[in-house]
Amino acid sequence: MTATMVSVQQRLGARRILGLSPLTWVLVVVGLVLVPLVRVLTSSTPLTATTTFTAAILSTAPIALAALGGVWAERAGVVNIGLEGQMLLGTWGAAYFNWYYGPWVGLLGGVLLGVVGGLLHAIATITFGVDQIVSGVAVNIIAAGAVDFLSKAFFSQITPNGGPRNLSGLYSLPTVNVGGLDTWLSKLNGRHWFLVSDVAGLVGSLISHVSVVSLLVIALAVLSWWLLRRTTFGLRLRSCGENPAAAESLGVNVYRYKYVAVLVSGGFAGLGGAFLTTVASSTFTVGQTQGRGYIGLAAMIFGNWNPFGALGASALFGYADALRLRSASSLHALLLLLAIGLLLLTVWRLLRRQLRSAAVNGVIGVAFLLWFLLTDSIPKDLGGMTPYLVTLLVLSLASQNLRMPAADGKPYRKGSAG
Amino acid sequence: MVTSETALAPLVELRDIGKRFPGVVANHDVNVTIRPGTVHALVGENGAGKSTLMKILYGVQRPDDGTVLVDGTEHAFKSPSDAIAVGIGMVFQHFMLADNLTVLENCVLGAERIHGIAGKARAAFVDLGQRFGFDLDPDALVEDLGVAARQRLEIVKVLYRGAQVIILDEPTAVLVPQEVDQLFTNLRDLRASGHSLLFISHKLDEVLAIADDITVMRRGTTVGEAKPGSVTKRQLAELMVGSELPSPETAESTVQTRMMLSLAGVSLVVGERSVLDGIDLTIHKGEVLGIAGVEGNGQTELVEVIMGMTKPTSGAIVLGDVDVTAMSTRGRREAGIGYIPEDRQRHGLLLDAPLWENRILGHQTQPPNARGPWIDRRGARRDTERIVEQYDVRTPSIDTNARALSGGNQQKLIVGREMSGDPVLLMASHPTRGVDVGAQAAIWDHIRDARKAGLAVLLISADLDELIGLSDTIEVILRGRLVGTFDPTTVTPAELGTAMTGGHD
Repeated sequence: MTATMVSVQQRLGARRILGLSPLTWVLVVVGLVLVPLVRVLTSSTPLTATTTFTAAILSTAPIALAALGGVWAERAGVVNIGLEGQMLLGTWGAAYFNWYYGPWVGLLGGVLLGVVGGLLHAIATITFGVDQIVSGVAVNIIAAGAVDFLSKAFFSQITPNGGPRNLSGLYSLPTVNVGGLDTWLSKLNGRHWFLVSDVAGLVGSLISHVSVVSLLVIALAVLSWWLLRRTTFGLRLRSCGENPAAAESLGVNVYRYKYVAVLVSGGFAGLGGAFLTTVASSTFTVGQTQGRGYIGLAAMIFGNWNPFGALGASALFGYADALRLRSASSLHALLLLLAIGLLLLTVWRLLRRQLRSAAVNGVIGVAFLLWFLLTDSIPKDLGGMTPYLVTLLVLSLASQNLRMPAADGKPYRKGSAG
Repeated sequence: MVTSETALAPLVELRDIGKRFPGVVANHDVNVTIRPGTVHALVGENGAGKSTLMKILYGVQRPDDGTVLVDGTEHAFKSPSDAIAVGIGMVFQHFMLADNLTVLENCVLGAERIHGIAGKARAAFVDLGQRFGFDLDPDALVEDLGVAARQRLEIVKVLYRGAQVIILDEPTAVLVPQEVDQLFTNLRDLRASGHSLLFISHKLDEVLAIADDITVMRRGTTVGEAKPGSVTKRQLAELMVGSELPSPETAESTVQTRMMLSLAGVSLVVGERSVLDGIDLTIHKGEVLGIAGVEGNGQTELVEVIMGMTKPTSGAIVLGDVDVTAMSTRGRREAGIGYIPEDRQRHGLLLDAPLWENRILGHQTQPPNARGPWIDRRGARRDTERIVEQYDVRTPSIDTNARALSGGNQQKLIVGREMSGDPVLLMASHPTRGVDVGAQAAIWDHIRDARKAGLAVLLISADLDELIGLSDTIEVILRGRLVGTFDPTTVTPAELGTAMTGGHD
């Protein structure tokens, strides 16, 4: 077992760029060409419309924030299932502080409440050595109850915007718009030229009326990568997730780094919650996260515990989700996209003589191709879950060789060194 | 007290150290004095308190009594960083390395303040490697390193922090003879450059070869000091155990003609790698076949294939005259294969179950443990009493949890259990690893007795003396292949070591 892993690492490890494997990079490039191609073939313009990408950014950001939070905690060896709960706390915190103190304080309020959720998880798992899954589930349950209670207690009296389960009319945050370029790009996008218009759509969504918080998410991913990979602090933090006994024997205060990691993790999740209430909408409702914390966790795993990987996997979720929201009909085009992608992956695996996974990919790819060719649309009942299904499938087939931190999920007691 | 003395002043002094854990006195009245620029050996059996003492000196644990003096100044280390700050470094027996980090990252971890973690640190690392002859690639992942390279990295780590005193906890336990020589060369270079080394071991030959001073520990306290020139191995051993050195040697051959186990062309391919490659071997009744090899060359897989835990890719396994290739592990055990696993805590025992339940493990379908589909509690308990008695398992009762026993006693229980099933073949992986001298002798005796009674044994061990002493034949395994057969009456450890590493000096 370990022997094969070593050889795989040796083959792939040397050429990792930004911590991502060559296969990931190939997929990114192929995706850039494939999506426009399918758009042309199926003449399903919403696939690369600026509006789709704009919606995708809004869908991606909260998932990405949860995923980044997950990366932080798990790199230090703490599994944080509580992301969902910390995100929930963030939605309430953002709403409360936004209502009374304005949008920026609201954002911080979301982060603060997320950190509180993280603190709960940290105390239980790090100080008291509680099983991390048990604690995480507890955090989720406590957070759900707390948000329910807090919104009843604080938002019921606010009229007319408030209610026991919601608060609307929150202040919004500024957006960035690179003047002139946006109209030009959207015109270009409307021409439907192969690749050019598609790229224009993507770029347009990133510079026209994009929330500063969305851009902040990208900055945070870069910052996380730099901190974890390139600084002393990050090395120490990662060492706690790989071999805490070794770290302690070298004078690293394992508990402190784990605490920092889990608090940051909670903060990211809280910011994700704040995004939902104040950027993606201007309304708080109870249970607003709808499982995005868990999706973030999945994105983190498929992103191989790497900030950029997590961001990429989240973007895939977000894109599929946006398609569902913007244009149910283009979901059908997604089937062709998926089929071509899987068949290409089959070829890649065949070239590397990974026969079994090539066969699996090939069969599923052909199945999707047939599905695309034999039908005209996706049944309505399936529409809602298709994006998740598709993304999960793509990610689980494409991301193999995942490597989680060696001591992830294991409680560590001080003095275990030696 | 000791303020300004000459170079002869002790570098490190441990005075009247005492350390108690709940129910155990690990150290009491321990006195050790280390002179600068010397190799100081600390010898003693397992459980004599050496490791606790080292952890105290390295700040992992705090002493209950006594004082630690470095350069004449008293120190109370709160954590390893305090010890590192005054120039004490430690190489643990179980390496303290993170597999998924690079060599350089492992080295600079915790010592980032010296040269950062990037270019300057790399230069310092490379320079250190060249100066002391450690050949390490800073960008390799630690999981790709062999045991000897990991140990070199551990030593470089300590040097990188500017340590003057380096503690080495049983550094040779994991090395083959050639690697030990290489290590000793490194250690002598370090001594020549003014470092002091504290060398912990229970291998007396090695201690006599490298040490300048020797301190002996027994039952938690220091019982004597010696110089290598004026003491013999036997005297040291007697100090250590209070009795004579046991020896693994067997008397006359008891090999019979009947074939007990034969493997024909057994291969195992994992992924794309050939882990076992065309293994042919035969063990007769009354024969001990020793397998020598550097860890990770297929020994574990060989045992798992014979036990039926892994299915071989090709080849046949015949036990007696039954082809067991397709048989389950359960079936094979019932056909008479006893198994002493290499990692007793992971594979041999339920640590949090009482001894009598552990007695049932692996024999849960056979008397005296079972009657029909039911467990025979009384029978199992009675038989556990017998094992405890016969195999000298030191335990307060058979209701004690296995975890509470020392390693040697756990191992004796496993040996007793496996011998009780009347096996025709015993698979013994490292049967005396981590076991103290007394228990080791007892286990050797049991294997010898069983062999006389006609048991076939497959013995895998990293202890070459044990292999040479107990085996009737020795096969060397290298990268999944049997590469040489040796006669234990004529072979030397050095010859085996050469074959094990596939090289010639």
